[in-house]
Amino acid sequence: MTTFFQLVVVGISTGSVFAIVGMSLVLVYRATGIVNFAQGVFAVLGGLVTYSLSQHMSLVLAGLLAVLVTAIVATVVAVVAVGIRGRTTHLASLIITVGIAIFAEAVLLAAFGEVPRSYSAISDRAWNVGGVLVQPQYAALALVALLAAVGLTLFLRRTIVGQALVASADSPRAAELIGLNLRSIAVIAFALAGALTAIGGVLLAPTVPVSYSSGLTITINGFAAAVFGGLVSIRLALLGGYALGVVEQLVVGYIDPQYNLIIALAVMLVLIGWRSRGELAV
Amino acid sequence: MTLLELDDVTVRYGEAVAVDGVSLAVAPRERVALIGPNGAGKTSLLNAACGLIRPASGRVRIEADDVTGATPGSIVRRGVSQVPEGRHVFGTLPVEANLLLGAYGRVFRLEIVSSTLRYLRSRRDVRDQLERVYDLLPKLRELRERPAGRTSGGEQQMVAIGRALMASPRLLAIDELSLGLAPRLVQSLAEFLVRLNEEEGVAILLVDQSASLAFSLCERAYVLETGRVTLEGASRDLVGRPEVRSAYLGGGPDAPS
Repeated sequence: MTTFFQLVVVGISTGSVFAIVGMSLVLVYRATGIVNFAQGVFAVLGGLVTYSLSQHMSLVLAGLLAVLVTAIVATVVAVVAVGIRGRTTHLASLIITVGIAIFAEAVLLAAFGEVPRSYSAISDRAWNVGGVLVQPQYAALALVALLAAVGLTLFLRRTIVGQALVASADSPRAAELIGLNLRSIAVIAFALAGALTAIGGVLLAPTVPVSYSSGLTITINGFAAAVFGGLVSIRLALLGGYALGVVEQLVVGYIDPQYNLIIALAVMLVLIGWRSRGELAV
Repeated sequence: MTLLELDDVTVRYGEAVAVDGVSLAVAPRERVALIGPNGAGKTSLLNAACGLIRPASGRVRIEADDVTGATPGSIVRRGVSQVPEGRHVFGTLPVEANLLLGAYGRVFRLEIVSSTLRYLRSRRDVRDQLERVYDLLPKLRELRERPAGRTSGGEQQMVAIGRALMASPRLLAIDELSLGLAPRLVQSLAEFLVRLNEEEGVAILLVDQSASLAFSLCERAYVLETGRVTLEGASRDLVGRPEVRSAYLGGGPDAPS
């Protein structure tokens, strides 16, 4: 039973990263109607930039700078994806983000090399909770995911900027007509989502080393979490991320690490099917 | 002095000419209609006036300022707001958020932080404006919490009009007021627009396929066919013209009156 709980704890921590990426995808989708397939790249960028900068400065400062750098890169990605006037069609934008993801891998490989990178965690001690080891790093990841979920929900529902983001995806045409600038809206959504995903990446690297090619797996997992919430629900993306992380760890622990992604995605598919059936029934 | 002036405006989509050298003017406090069949170029002309599309040639002026090719936001700031065809409310947001965004859009520039600060500083004015819109359209006050997408077609038209009014326009351009709405509802919206025009001094540019509505609501009208203005003048003169009766008022010259 201790093994089970240990796997669940680890699962919630990796699942938090999926949730963070998933919520970032939801944020971008709700503001622009675009599924950003380069989202996972932002997590990798956060981790790798933190690693490189930490050779020259304190880890905390390196992490903060990495988040800032990623937000700036995300801004550029936004402009490329939606075009100068912000009017590229959603499908074209989506394909552009796939292209950016592939391009980014090459750039990351050239800039940071192929070695997966890691650095020291917040603390190397661990809390012992009834035989289950809980690392502070895990707790930090789970906390960030939770705070992000609450923060994003309030942001989108209660603030005028959040509502402007939602409005722009609800009706881009009406948003333009009342004076909103679609490119600015996309930039804000991408930058916020990029910063959030980068925080996830910065916190992830100490537990799972990241390399130039980690982006795709992170995107897929985050996407699965986001789809659990129909790409629009922050709350369900959070739950989806947790569920995905836990299932993957259980597969690693009890079945075979080789199949963790496949089985986890299959379970997600079933859960999504079950959830949408419930919706139809209501 | 004219409030909005379109001077020899041409709109093209690739090779296709949607609007072919149209001139149109709306004076302050005036009610003007633009009628014509489907595909005549009415919406294209309106979108050129509101900055959604850039005319291939010709000029757009607001109070003699050339605004050809200006962004929709700067057109709104100069006092011209559009209620788009099909209403396009922000369906997942509550009615009140739809309205407040109308005020936010007016102060929105490229840069979001200063735009938002500008909006927050003007918060008291925005609240006053919101109360005015609620007084003009009391139904919206009842619906303030409801997601705009879950209101009826007529209510959505009110939301779209209210949202445009939040920017305190001097000219309200309405694309297809009557589309998909029950006649009684259209009548009360029309009465509202006349009141808005007479009491608040907001000029109206009404684009509609229903000529009888347009003529009864507006003092002056333009008839647009395949991208050109074929007739213009006072509504009461146009109503009597046989070609208008046969094409737009559902009765040919021989029809019993």
